[in-house]
Amino acid sequence: MKFDVVVVGAGPAGSSAALTAARGGAKVLLLERGPEPGSKNVSGAMIRLEDFSSIYDISSIPIERKVKNVDLILLSDSNRVRINVNVESNLATAGRLKLDKWMAQQAEKAGALLITKTTVLGIERESDGYKVITDRGEIGADRIVLAEGVNALVSIKANIRPDLTPEQTVQAVKEVYSLNKDEVNKRFGFKADDEGASWRILGTDPVPYAGFLYVYKDAIAIGVGVPMKILIKRKVTPYTVLDEVKERLGLNELIKGSSLREYSAKIIPEYGFPSWKGCSGKVYLAGDSLGLVDPLTFNGIGPAVASGTLAGKAALETYECSRYETELMKNREIKRVVNARPLVKELVEEENFKYYVKTINDLLHGWVYSDFSKVKLDTSKLLKHLILGMGVLKS
Amino acid sequence: MRIEEKLYTLRYKKDEQPHLAIIDPNKCLKCAEVNGVPQPCITVCPANVYSWINQKIIVSYENCVECGACRVACPYANIMWKYPRYGLGIALRYG
Ligand SMILES: Cc1cc2nc3c(=O)[nH]c(=O)nc-3n(C[C@H](O)[C@H](O)[C@H](O)COP(=O)(O)OP(=O)(O)OC[C@H]3O[C@@H](n4cnc5c(N)ncnc54)[C@H](O)[C@@H]3O)c2cc1C
Ligand code: SF4
Ligand code: SF4
Repeated sequence: MKFDVVVVGAGPAGSSAALTAARGGAKVLLLERGPEPGSKNVSGAMIRLEDFSSIYDISSIPIERKVKNVDLILLSDSNRVRINVNVESNLATAGRLKLDKWMAQQAEKAGALLITKTTVLGIERESDGYKVITDRGEIGADRIVLAEGVNALVSIKANIRPDLTPEQTVQAVKEVYSLNKDEVNKRFGFKADDEGASWRILGTDPVPYAGFLYVYKDAIAIGVGVPMKILIKRKVTPYTVLDEVKERLGLNELIKGSSLREYSAKIIPEYGFPSWKGCSGKVYLAGDSLGLVDPLTFNGIGPAVASGTLAGKAALETYECSRYETELMKNREIKRVVNARPLVKELVEEENFKYYVKTINDLLHGWVYSDFSKVKLDTSKLLKHLILGMGVLKS
Repeated sequence: MRIEEKLYTLRYKKDEQPHLAIIDPNKCLKCAEVNGVPQPCITVCPANVYSWINQKIIVSYENCVECGACRVACPYANIMWKYPRYGLGIALRYG
């Protein structure tokens, strides 16, 4: 049996690739290791509906709630600042199981064949294409899209890209607490059942971390990501950090009476394309396999859909690698991830991260008390990062 | 809440064949000397899969939530890290 295109992984990148290639008339096989799409995947998650509308009909997209407010919370050792951003556009919270299932269904409707509970173990070049080796047997493919997510074992084994290092990786843990809808509305002051909120938390103690809180229909998701290098250095476990964040923010009060429905974890890549190749022969990588997460805006699903769509097109039209990589760089969202890499590398440095959380805190407190004596401006640091930041804003 | 209680919320289907294993126990001894205890694999794991007992790493692979951290964290590339076969392992409801 041979397919025009075999896609590995039915996450946002893989399903978008399969949908695009199938729509173009290719015979597409979409392979997923989980019992169903999404069952092995972890996100917060907050999504931007525009990220989907370019290829999906979003009228049926399964979201939890529409986000009306995003709160940025900065916690330094002693101070706390909370900035509320009122949201007009199409931000929503989503659970990955429903969302990923829906995306894979769209690909199936376009003609792709989805097979689950099947793990791809490797790919091999043959005279007339590729052999895809799975734990259930082998399949022939003319072109391949590897959308395997952050643990890209197949891409690494095929020597298309290297493995991540602790310096390039964030470890994230998440908890979902269930609470009935009315109680959720009451605790967050929502006026309607579809109204939602999201918090983004940047804190420095006990170690630097980025946290989140997203409100689902009848549940609250809380999580935290910590640079792996810091966990190893300080010998702190990721769940200890999450417990501390809950304590500091009084979240235990907010989730009182609810029960823990799910505990999960996943690493997040903070490095990748274009330092890694996007392609080899007729094998195209997309999404987290390429490290396309934007840590500044917590957006990984958007770039995964964008790069998956491009990979699907590349596979459909058998692009040369250079053409695929050029197309990736032309995409606004992907370009932003790429341009942000030097700044991100600086900001995840413990010293810099602590400096900014504390300085912004001190600045805002200084403004409130009309006393800026505590604010320490490090001009050379600020200038360096401002220049790097300009590069991001321009993209 | 203890981590074991958190893991209790998860649905697992156990693969009888371990998907994680230590390749060379001697490297773990060296790792303990160089990096101290707990070693990187133990620290980063959100599911307490690894424990250091009698100078040996014990792997409770059936608790693994498949996050991928230990493979990246191990400075000696000493963990054989695969996915459970046939979609076994965890299955999330929210994700
Ligand atoms: C805690 C956390 C919170 C996050 N929050 C957000 C957020 O709020 N918003 C946002 O946009 N992004 C968020 N992200 C990032 C986002 O989850 C990822 O960037 C996104 O899922 C990447 O999509 P993908 O399709 O590339 O990979 P994945 O979603 O990981 O999909 C890969 C798929 O491939 C399958 N697979 C892997 N290997 C194989 C194999 N060998 N054979 C068969 N199948 C295989 C997997 O089972 C999976 O279904 C978050 C991440 C984490 C960890
Ligand atoms: S980090 Fe690697 S070498 Fe060190 S103890 Fe763990 S498995 Fe062994
Ligand atoms: S993959 Fe994650 S949960 Fe599984 S053993 Fe490694 S660190 Fe622990």
